[in-house]
Amino acid sequence: MTTQRTITFILNGHPASAQVGNHQNLVEVLQGQGLCGARESCAQGLCGCCTVIVDGKAVSGCLTLAPLIDGADVRTIEEPQAGSKDEHGLDAVQQAFIETGAFQCGFCTPGFVLMTRQLLDAHANPSEDEIRHYLAGNLCRCATYPEVVKAVRLAASKRKKAGKG
Amino acid sequence: MIPFELAEPRSLKGALKLLDTEDPAVRAFGGCTALMLMMKTGVFQPSCLVSLRRVEKKHAGISREDGGLRIGALATLSSLEQSAAVRKAAPVITRTLRTLSNVRVRNVATLGGHLAHADPHMDLPPVLIALDAQLTAVSVAGERRLAVQDLFTGYYETALVKNELISSVHVPAQDGRRSTYVKCTTRTADDWPTLGIAVSLKTDGTLIEDARVVVSAATEKPLRMAQAEAQLRGATVTDAVLARVGEAAAAEAELIGDARGSAAYKRELLRVHAARAVRQALAGGER
Repeated sequence: MTTQRTITFILNGHPASAQVGNHQNLVEVLQGQGLCGARESCAQGLCGCCTVIVDGKAVSGCLTLAPLIDGADVRTIEEPQAGSKDEHGLDAVQQAFIETGAFQCGFCTPGFVLMTRQLLDAHANPSEDEIRHYLAGNLCRCATYPEVVKAVRLAASKRKKAGKG
Repeated sequence: MIPFELAEPRSLKGALKLLDTEDPAVRAFGGCTALMLMMKTGVFQPSCLVSLRRVEKKHAGISREDGGLRIGALATLSSLEQSAAVRKAAPVITRTLRTLSNVRVRNVATLGGHLAHADPHMDLPPVLIALDAQLTAVSVAGERRLAVQDLFTGYYETALVKNELISSVHVPAQDGRRSTYVKCTTRTADDWPTLGIAVSLKTDGTLIEDARVVVSAATEKPLRMAQAEAQLRGATVTDAVLARVGEAAAAEAELIGDARGSAAYKRELLRVHAARAVRQALAGGER
């Protein structure tokens, strides 16, 4: 047996492969693919900066062993948003974060955006309590939490208007 | 983290064979969230990890069993949280999961790993003990059943012998028992608990026929509070009875001081929150 292997997976809709060590994590794999949107920050699965969608579910990239990605569908913040009418290709959640100013330095924003999409896919019109519970695992050191809650609500209404909610 | 080998057996039998070794650095994992933290900090350095994610899907199933629940050890905490069967048979589990870690961890962490890790700060062990749950453990030698309360033998220590895996958890029918879990956090709302208290009551009108009171997080392992339970059994709840429950629990629990509070502080928390937990259980479990 060996401590290295080649993995193949789908990355943002396209086939990808990587040579990885069993001990490496998903954030390192993504960096090797030139994608830096998922950031390892707390390294303990607490902060949400390394959020990645694997087989349709949000995971902490820093707690995901690279070899377990073999055969998986991986989506990151860099994924182009299909059907977007925005000139930058942004979706309703990203637009809502910009319009409400739901960030300051922006380091945590990719994680918040990905988690918000997951939340709205599961609950089209979440209450403030549901929003706060769902995003409890995402930390913003600039403390833009009130604006984040506003952004999620705005995104929900934008998606509803667009017939996606 | 240092390099290691990784095996992904396709069956539980295959996994048990791989674990049947004298090498203590061979370890199985379900979601690998807790183990990752141990590996990152160098507390555990594996020679080989055995991933259980490819073993038969039936080991992740959740079903009704004799009015209660049978939960495959590889069921993720998210699947428990969203299970209608769990909400019906033991709603206290559903409520507890809401504040257990976060969505991403719950998406991958498994019930078997949650129990086998034996970190006293885990939320479901005290709840499962209060529900009188049992578990099935398997090894190449066969399988055995034990009560969840007998699984924990100390700080990060379990009764599982080398090479044994938890395969399923069994929650008995609750027959109208009312249960709750109170999680006290002292640093942030989403911190690991400083103190956990699970209570399950069998009542007849205002009379408490039977009570289970379990303390976790502040102790080296989750433990039933026999003296506090004795105060409740056969009693009608009054402020005086609740005061005695709090006093009894605070007197009998062996509390450990740490970064989340001194033992004296936790004793005060326990005195107050044991009584509140009983009230909450009587009120149907909701806060």
